[in-house]
Amino acid sequence: MTFKKSILSIGFAICMLAGCADSYHWTASHPSYHKAPYGGIAVTGIENAFVITRSNWFAKRLEIGTDSIQIKGTLHCRNTFETELRKAYGNLIVLPDSANTKFPEESLKIDERIFIKGHIPEQGVTLKDSAGNVPPVVLILHEFIIGTDLKRENFFDYALIHNESGSLRKPDNVSAIFSYTLWDNLKQRPLFSAVDELQQPITIYKLNNLTNLIQLAVQKIRKNLYEGVVK
Amino acid sequence: MKKLLVILMILVAWASASEVYFDSRFTLWKDATVYIWTLDGNSPVNANEFCLSLRRNNTGIGEPKCRELGEWERDTIATRYGSWLSNNLEKNLPSSYLRARHPGMAAKIQSLEDNIVLFLAPQGKFIQVAIFDETAQEPKAAGIVKATNDKIALSDDIAATFFNKRTKRRLTKEERLKQQTEPDDLYKEVPSLKIWAGAGIGYSQAHFPLTPDNWTSSHTKSQVKNYRVTKDSVSLWNFINDDDAFMSLYAGLTWHGFIGIELMYRYSSRDMKTDKSDTIYHELDHWEFGQHDIGLNILLSMTYPITPWFDITPIAFLGFQYTFYSEDIALKSGVRTPSNAYQRRIKFEDVYKGALLGIGGQFVFKKHYGLDLRAGLSSRGRDIYEAPSPDAGAAPTTIGKSTIDCFVSLGFEYHWTL
Repeated sequence: MTFKKSILSIGFAICMLAGCADSYHWTASHPSYHKAPYGGIAVTGIENAFVITRSNWFAKRLEIGTDSIQIKGTLHCRNTFETELRKAYGNLIVLPDSANTKFPEESLKIDERIFIKGHIPEQGVTLKDSAGNVPPVVLILHEFIIGTDLKRENFFDYALIHNESGSLRKPDNVSAIFSYTLWDNLKQRPLFSAVDELQQPITIYKLNNLTNLIQLAVQKIRKNLYEGVVK
Repeated sequence: MKKLLVILMILVAWASASEVYFDSRFTLWKDATVYIWTLDGNSPVNANEFCLSLRRNNTGIGEPKCRELGEWERDTIATRYGSWLSNNLEKNLPSSYLRARHPGMAAKIQSLEDNIVLFLAPQGKFIQVAIFDETAQEPKAAGIVKATNDKIALSDDIAATFFNKRTKRRLTKEERLKQQTEPDDLYKEVPSLKIWAGAGIGYSQAHFPLTPDNWTSSHTKSQVKNYRVTKDSVSLWNFINDDDAFMSLYAGLTWHGFIGIELMYRYSSRDMKTDKSDTIYHELDHWEFGQHDIGLNILLSMTYPITPWFDITPIAFLGFQYTFYSEDIALKSGVRTPSNAYQRRIKFEDVYKGALLGIGGQFVFKKHYGLDLRAGLSSRGRDIYEAPSPDAGAAPTTIGKSTIDCFVSLGFEYHWTL
């Protein structure tokens, strides 16, 4: 066992030197994820997932007061997200965050050093909507971070999360980093999990740019849900 | 009749239709305690009957005890996990996907000590089976057996499918406690100094394996005429035997298990490659050279403990050596005066200097007794820099300026650690 460990660590060291530490897997599929959701989906987590960093920067450009940017900005994001998702999935059920946040927070391993943190329902317990129905699949949005020039490895690679961010300079992009899990509500297992990153070049930044960012994010999520299917 | 029996047996095997999804070799204790865990308290097998089945199917199991696991049956967390497991138990799904996530459930499994939990859940025509022990938060083995109302047959089927393995003696409470506090067998501190001494045998040859013959054939096929004449004298292998066994003595030390130094001595006896057709050698009884190599190696090594009594230390070494040749020549007893050519026979340099390069491994048993395997290249020559002189063009070539060979060796060693 020690021998194996040593070999592994040597391998890891070689890997580090060779520079292959840069390649991450940002998605993970359950072996039984055979069909992407179509037509209907439930979503939870959107009340609290959105976070805007650099409030002042956004407040100035979006013409929202600095003290209300978090509330108004994230509400705008949430509404856009919901609208976009509703366009994609005709039958959208929005579950309140409390349906899921009552479960303890756990880590979901995506890759060797990549872990998603989030609330996941307990094994054997299904999420129900207000009418008591059990939606078969639930998209759990864990985090949706909006900022400038962000990189997802700095948030999700546990070896890098303590890195300080660079000095405040003129940003090139508005970034969105979002982690989510497609939850099999009938069998209570994570079908597909991912951390995505979007970079949106800045020219003039207005509210419709932010709307566009959220739209792109929803498209990206849908694309990933299809591509993550285990054939 | 025999054929019919075979067909019948195949049919019986097929009819039992039990299937193991995975089995990561849980420890089956002698006199095992098996808890039968069902979700509804309506066990498809009878606990006592199951114990009898175990004894019928596994003679080594001793006197097992079986009972239903009411504590888990009545527990919400366990029931939730149990129904989840039943819902998720699929063929080809690795066991890691069946891990119990709830901390309460994990704690329950961990506190099983050396008892085995047998999870049974009906699923259509089959009964799902999963086996837990304290070592993992996921089933150690899982599968399905065909459902039947005959509880004895079902018990037999489960026992034959999942419990048909070698048993281990159960540890007493004290032994368990001791085992928990026992140090890791493979744990050992790297000694700051390790010393070894050994003797070995080996074989060296001028031709490198897996290389074309014509690289070295001019040296290896050479013959010496008239006591000194060869086509080429750049390598000593033009004169003396280029493939021979050698013996070696060596001693070395490793500092902090990583870098080391080793002093070695090698001896081999090399016959002269005299041209047998040359009549001048009729006077000669024998002519050979004793080759003495004295070398110093720098070693890089790393020790891997394999079992408590066996370590492997791969080694890479680089060193230099000095080689001396002692001539052993004699005329036949009847010859009074040797020929002129004998008097002016070839003379080698007093000393040759060369390099050693290679890899190897030390296999150490019981901390002291080592086997050492090495392979490498060695050279002998005169690479000492001399300022060019005006006579350089006229100076004769140094004999054996580039004498290279490869070797393998096997050594027996004794190791000490300080």
